[in-house]
Amino acid sequence: MMPSATQRLAALDAATGPDRESAILAALEDDAPTVRERAVRLAARYVEPEVLGALVADGVNAARRNGALSALERQGPYAVPHLMKLLGSGDSAVVMFALQVLARIGDPVSTGRILPLLEHPDANVAQAAVEALGRMRAVDAVPALLDLLDRSVWLQLAAVNALGEIGDPRATGPLLALVPDTLVAEPAVRALQRITAPESLGPLLDLLVRVRQRPLRDAVLEASGVVLELHPDAAALGRAFGHALDPAGRADLTGFLATALAGESASEVPSEAPAQAAAGIALVAELSELYVPVLRRIAPGTHWAEPLWRSRATVTGEQVAELLGHADALVRRGLLLAGAFGPAALPSLLARLDDPDAEVRAAACRAIGALGDARAAGVLIERLRTSEGEERDEAAAALGRFPPDALAGLGSCLDPRAGDAVAIAALETVRLAQAQAFEPEVLALSRAQATDVRLAALRAAAALPGSRTGMVLFRALADREERVQIEALDLLVDREGDKTASALIGLLSAADSLRFRVIRALGRLRAAAAAPKLQSLFISAPLHERIEIVRALATIGQPGVTGFLRACLDAPERELRHVAALGLARAAGPDDLQTLLLMASDDDWTLRNQAAQGLGRLGLAEGRTTLLTLTRDVEPVVARTARQALALLAERARPAAA
Amino acid sequence: MTAADEAECKLLSDLVQEHFGLSFSGVRRDILASRIRPRLSALRLGSLLDYYHYLRTHPQRDGELEQLVRHLTNNETYFFREPHHFDIVVRHVVPPLMPLLKERPLRALSVGCSSGEEPYTLAVALHDAGLELRGVRWEIDACDLNPDRLARAREAAYEGAALRACSDDALRRCFDERDGRWLLRDCFRRGVRFFEANLATAASLGRPPYDVVFCRNLLIYFDDAGFDRAVRVLARTLPPGGYLLLGHSESLIDRTDEFTPVWLDGAMVYRKREAA
Repeated sequence: MMPSATQRLAALDAATGPDRESAILAALEDDAPTVRERAVRLAARYVEPEVLGALVADGVNAARRNGALSALERQGPYAVPHLMKLLGSGDSAVVMFALQVLARIGDPVSTGRILPLLEHPDANVAQAAVEALGRMRAVDAVPALLDLLDRSVWLQLAAVNALGEIGDPRATGPLLALVPDTLVAEPAVRALQRITAPESLGPLLDLLVRVRQRPLRDAVLEASGVVLELHPDAAALGRAFGHALDPAGRADLTGFLATALAGESASEVPSEAPAQAAAGIALVAELSELYVPVLRRIAPGTHWAEPLWRSRATVTGEQVAELLGHADALVRRGLLLAGAFGPAALPSLLARLDDPDAEVRAAACRAIGALGDARAAGVLIERLRTSEGEERDEAAAALGRFPPDALAGLGSCLDPRAGDAVAIAALETVRLAQAQAFEPEVLALSRAQATDVRLAALRAAAALPGSRTGMVLFRALADREERVQIEALDLLVDREGDKTASALIGLLSAADSLRFRVIRALGRLRAAAAAPKLQSLFISAPLHERIEIVRALATIGQPGVTGFLRACLDAPERELRHVAALGLARAAGPDDLQTLLLMASDDDWTLRNQAAQGLGRLGLAEGRTTLLTLTRDVEPVVARTARQALALLAERARPAAA
Repeated sequence: MTAADEAECKLLSDLVQEHFGLSFSGVRRDILASRIRPRLSALRLGSLLDYYHYLRTHPQRDGELEQLVRHLTNNETYFFREPHHFDIVVRHVVPPLMPLLKERPLRALSVGCSSGEEPYTLAVALHDAGLELRGVRWEIDACDLNPDRLARAREAAYEGAALRACSDDALRRCFDERDGRWLLRDCFRRGVRFFEANLATAASLGRPPYDVVFCRNLLIYFDDAGFDRAVRVLARTLPPGGYLLLGHSESLIDRTDEFTPVWLDGAMVYRKREAA
């Protein structure tokens, strides 16, 4: 009976010495995907690129060839010199495969060798070269790629896509020239969308009016939307565009934009992009007949519409009044959420507090809050007291934006007799407004029976300066509820201050469930004064606390901490070694290079991963060879970290070389 | 996902695999990360790494592991899902057993039953086939590793998505509406028994032998070793010739010698081989 996939996997892992390479190569064509995947990892680590390159040339055994390609890709920079050699192969298939792998590795060194292949006699190789340069975002290749725009349609298409990926604005004019009457018009528009050159906005908007066929018009719409969003002077350009539209053109365009806003794109993949683009164009071009569908888009789950309206819409007072009275609650709500209102709008906004729709009333609270007019405070306080849910929360948040002296009427809401929900909302207002006048009420509610009220009181107390509120937070560390203790601890850390650190150091003596979090908090505070106590506690603390101690000490970063971390690398517990390695990766200096190099050959992948991170951060040339080895690590995470570290090294080397 | 995030995710996915046999490798790590977020928030921990250390070393880790598994398991199920499997039981599993079923009940097992939709659908199918009138009784055992889901299964009250494949007729016949929820009638709940078990770690399941075992859309969560182990456990629950029904995207072909694939009414099912 044939061994199971698990057994084959185990045999592959067990193979060593001279048998290992042949076992790995055989496993590259195993039936089970998991065995093949493991073989690729091992091949990347243990098989030389020359051997893998020979498999790439094997036109018969596709399974092994694919495995070899994946392994070469995993080898990354280590395989690049050999892959560049393969570019000179007489076998077109080998050259194409080498191009694909080089593109995926993305090493910029290889672009110079790829450029001549644009003129390769085999059109497939030339096309693969174009695609590789695009994928590598090779800016140097732009002139050569522009020369390909008048070649065969396949090369033309590849060049258009590559120019889009590279994103160089030099391609804008030549790409616009391909729209609307060539076979590559739509890809050219998609490329323009990626380039986002400001000078393409005018021509794209013109095309939006001229082009009528749907797939291309959809592409133009999306491209216009993206370019418009990034354009430095979109408002002026859009307004001029809107005013220049003749009635027939305007009617046709608004009809098209309305379908996009209604989510009726011709695309098979549902996307918000067409609606977002249509809204942006409607607003900058001041196409007021589309304001209602744009406002309907300001709904839960759509995050773009509200900021878009806020930044782009130009509406008259008359239009505001009309939209606030619109029959559709979504429109009223949308305007209240996104509109920018002046003081004169206060009566209209207050009127919406009596809207039949609760979500509109909640939005009205928010709009009134944004106005910050103290005359509305009484109405909102009443709303906080009498409403519920979102409306109450919005009233509390709105009041939080008012000056504290406008909140005199809030006191009754902070009375325990007002009920827990009212007190919680009012405490949120106190927190947001930092209304010091209510300190006595906050202190009283910090002793409330209900946990949620105590939590809200703590948050309010944390926002009020002074020793009495600070005391409330310290006292809450002994609250009967653990979640109150944790909240108090977090709030104390956010307030910082020397007193916090010294009080927390005092808490280290109590071996209770909170100590683990106190240690974390001291780390977050970078409390240098805590370091000696933490080190002495380390010897006797349980494992979960020792882990936090190591992390805290690494974050505090006292001199000599790397010695402590190095010692922890010998701990029997894997988790402890791991956090020590993490600390070393972040704190290691040149003197710790040897430690990082040792970590790089550890059996535990987490240590190798941290070694790669540390070597990248350290940026010493002595770490390069080790990093190159780690780019071929059997564990893909480690290989990825090592590649990023090598890129960091290369970046640092560049200015030095210059 | 950055390399650092990926490393934290791998630590957690390795831990989940070690404890529950569930595989969240590769692109599925994103799913793992998103399902874990509510636990980070509940415990006020800042990162996946914090959570990993919590699960490995904190004194309350056992309770947290239970919480974790509740968040990880996909509870997506509904009444009359892949209904051809229930037809196969009625048309192909029961008839040859009829002589035996005069003496003993039909015995079925539903593995990864979540909130009970699958075993209850089987009960409805057997009931609707008129087997009771022909003197057939049944015992349907059903297990899941999530105790919350099992509690809901025992409650047998459903709403929304769980009933999406229920016809109006089936809804009226099988359920009573109460406060916007649909309670399965007692006649369909009879003979269905729930118990907690983890296919990834159990040595055996329930009270074997069973005539038919449902284990649908569960093996997809296992890595190769976990898969092989789970199939061995499932094989132990069946007598030679017993039926194993898997989800449509799961297959035992080339994975085991313990089962033979059988094509029935347009669907692939598996029968346990006779002992060599």
